[in-house]
Amino acid sequence: MAAGSLPQTAYLPYDDRTQTLRQIKGYPRSWTRTPAQPLIERPLTLSELTGPTGLEEKLNLGNGDFSCLTPGGPRAIGQLISVSGRVTDEDGAPLTCALVEVWQANSAGKYIHQLDRHQAPLDANFTGQGRFRTGADGSYQFRTIKPGGYPVMESDWWWRPPHIHFSIFGPSWMNRYVTQIFFPGEPLNETDLLLNGVLDPEARQRLIFQPQPTKVESGTNMLSFRLDFVLRGKNSTPALG
Amino acid sequence: MSTPSPYSTIGPFFPFEFVDDCNDLTKFAGRKARGQHILLTGRVLEEGGVPTANTILEIWQPDANGVFRHPLDPRFQEVDPGFFGWGRARTDRDGWYRFPTVLPGRPREAGGRLRCAHANLMILAIGLTRRLVTTVFFSDAPDSADDPVLESVPHAARRRLFAAREPALDADGFPAYRFDVILRGQQETPFFLD
Repeated sequence: MAAGSLPQTAYLPYDDRTQTLRQIKGYPRSWTRTPAQPLIERPLTLSELTGPTGLEEKLNLGNGDFSCLTPGGPRAIGQLISVSGRVTDEDGAPLTCALVEVWQANSAGKYIHQLDRHQAPLDANFTGQGRFRTGADGSYQFRTIKPGGYPVMESDWWWRPPHIHFSIFGPSWMNRYVTQIFFPGEPLNETDLLLNGVLDPEARQRLIFQPQPTKVESGTNMLSFRLDFVLRGKNSTPALG
Repeated sequence: MSTPSPYSTIGPFFPFEFVDDCNDLTKFAGRKARGQHILLTGRVLEEGGVPTANTILEIWQPDANGVFRHPLDPRFQEVDPGFFGWGRARTDRDGWYRFPTVLPGRPREAGGRLRCAHANLMILAIGLTRRLVTTVFFSDAPDSADDPVLESVPHAARRRLFAAREPALDADGFPAYRFDVILRGQQETPFFLD
């Protein structure tokens, strides 16, 4: 296809009713950091409709197994899990070769991060971060350890439920996407300010992994979870290598 | 058919490894980017002028000739091979971010209209449950800048979208352009509906 002749994706503003509230009671920084002025509607030009391509030339990709530092090496402590799903646009068209970044706490609820003040042990076999790309059908899969919950140190009651952070590069600047995904049946889900910041119950469910039937085999056993992402855009151009 | 999945905050613990070495747009694939190298820098501040530390900013801009490294740009074949166009930075404890980059050229729309030189910025932080997006403009004559995105901003706030030359912040021989991101409060930065 000749340069400049790619089909243009249509982008509508996010529907606030199916998104997280911008300001949440009990989450102080959502009040001091969210703009007071209304957001401004602008025309979409080449600048917004394009975005970084070939990100793997800039960012290293992993091997999709974050449960150990080297293939076959000692495994991190915790419940071994497999996470999979698909990334599509609003029409259900697969977003191929989209770069995905994930980061999470270890099974004790501790991040490798100098700002994490929670007194919990690090795990020498776990970095809690990884990158990969979606396949031709928009599918992804990685292996990791189920993260632990942890206290929010600025609060006197708030414990974050286990969750995995996702950062996804869609085909353009318009569908760059960042979120966090929760585990089903966790008691802490009931009180989490961020998960419950999505008021629409159906939309909230879309931030919770679906457990998958899991066979017990003679080799490596793990629990499986699935999460499908819908990124903004209709009539999408697939993400560009 | 389905609506987009809900966004959430990036939170406090975005890995340092995901940001390290990502803020320099002046070189790519072993080459130096063409054009005037600059330092785009400023502070991110929240209500009351308080610095917003540990904020993640991403930038997307065209090369020195105004060409985007993306096949939708009709001039894509001419893009500078030494310029990637995207980068990421984290604010320090005083709220400062730094992007060594090139002074962007003026992109040309499909209809032929030239845009004012600019870079796209997005901001992710604790407390922001959605990303914030804005545009930084570069012009010696902000009041006569002709740009369709700028025109959508109320007159009184347009000047806030221009980076200003600030020689006191020059570093490593790069002329510094300052752009503060005021998330909320006096002189709040105009952000776009996303």
